[in-house]
Amino acid sequence: MSTFKETMLKISNNDMYKKWLKTAWPYVTGAVLLSLFQIATLASTGNPWGVSGVFANWGAWIYEAFGGSVAKWYYFSSDGAQATLENGFLNHAGSWRNIGIILGALLSVLFASQLKIKKIKSKKQIIAASLGGLLMGYGARIAFGCNIGALFSGIASLSLSGWVFAIAMFGGAVVGSKLLVKFFM
Amino acid sequence: MQEIVIDCLGEACPVPLVKAQNKLKEMNIGDILICQIDHSCAMKNLPEWARTDGHNVEVDEVDDGEWEVVIEKVK
Amino acid sequence: MSDTGTTSTIKRSSSRSRTKRKPKKSQLPQATFVLIVVIALGLFLSGRDNGIAWFFVTGLAFGYILQRSRFCFTASMRDPYLTGGTTLTRAVLIAFAITTIGFTAIKYGYFSKGLPIPGMSYVAPISLATVIGAFMFGVGMVIAGGCASGTLMRVGEGFTMQLLSLTFFTVGSLIGANHFGWWKDVFTSKGTKVFLPDVFGWFGAVVIQLLIIFLLYIAAEKWQDAKANH
Repeated sequence: MSTFKETMLKISNNDMYKKWLKTAWPYVTGAVLLSLFQIATLASTGNPWGVSGVFANWGAWIYEAFGGSVAKWYYFSSDGAQATLENGFLNHAGSWRNIGIILGALLSVLFASQLKIKKIKSKKQIIAASLGGLLMGYGARIAFGCNIGALFSGIASLSLSGWVFAIAMFGGAVVGSKLLVKFFM
Repeated sequence: MQEIVIDCLGEACPVPLVKAQNKLKEMNIGDILICQIDHSCAMKNLPEWARTDGHNVEVDEVDDGEWEVVIEKVK
Repeated sequence: MSDTGTTSTIKRSSSRSRTKRKPKKSQLPQATFVLIVVIALGLFLSGRDNGIAWFFVTGLAFGYILQRSRFCFTASMRDPYLTGGTTLTRAVLIAFAITTIGFTAIKYGYFSKGLPIPGMSYVAPISLATVIGAFMFGVGMVIAGGCASGTLMRVGEGFTMQLLSLTFFTVGSLIGANHFGWWKDVFTSKGTKVFLPDVFGWFGAVVIQLLIIFLLYIAAEKWQDAKANH
């Protein structure tokens, strides 16, 4: 057992390990690699990367699990949306991409040996997280997407909507910063 | 010369950075600020900001996913 | 950038010296275990449907890249105002420039063969709903400490706070979907979709967009300098 621990410690201090699995990449490296997979996503699936549309489906599945029905909602009224809902979570590609993001991030932190479960510290954090989540969810639905689908993929798709989204989102970020400093710190 | 410790454990961005900025404003030249953080993004943006601002900075990995950013105020 | 202790140049009082620390543990065994689970999950999915498995793999890549580079769309929009830093803003602009070229190449390839252009559903109608929704999103991501991708990434990093915001993101999405019909009637249906090549031609659209990105990049650089020197 102790030799196992020693080996692990040895790897932890190894320069190659630090270089390939631990040290944070520069932001530009992230930008280039995200772009590469964004382009690969469009080329192979026929659609760019999107994140938040999936959450509406998650909401609908949970709502229906509690006995609600979204069949009459305009948002879910198309045949495509109904079919997606009927096929369920397990057959929904977008859901698996989002699960992949969570697991990919988890793998990255674990291989860097930096995982720590961070508990909620205060009531302020609870309010900030709930309110922020609600605003993002609602906003993304009425604006046809989030920072990925509407902003990143929108701009990359040469859509003017991406730029409009960017400007309004920047305005929101400024107001959000003011609120954060004033109420949530 | 003073050594001030601020506890930003469990705080998400940009709270550690804003707290450090505010604290640093009150401090004298030569004082040392130690920010305890466990947010991996702050581990990158806090030192980066402090370096661009011209201070001496060190990052110390204290535990798995926990860091101390040590900033010496130089101006 | 090195994140581990090299020889210290900052003198700290003895009570906090680094020798007193407990020895660090390695999480590599856990990492290997999760990797095996992820591979098994990938194989299970590819047994059902290769397309879904591919989505899962791209998700893993996005998550890994986002975490490893600490990429954050929220900070790219927030930091210019809040801290004056624009490093992430510029990285996001670089991503916009690269994908603009890549996306246009793919789209033009289909267009020139007379085939339907892929991904056109992401060219969304512009209306007041876009502005209000994006504004709400901007406020939300700053106070929740993460955008859509950032929230998922931070859940993977072990943030309970973002697990909560993910839950409410889902609730918000459901309410938004519920009200979608109203927004559609009042605003969205009157909005217009603007695909830039329709206005400026394919070449013109790319040149103009890249030029705007370039100018924003210069502005971001100047902004950071101005903020740092003041």
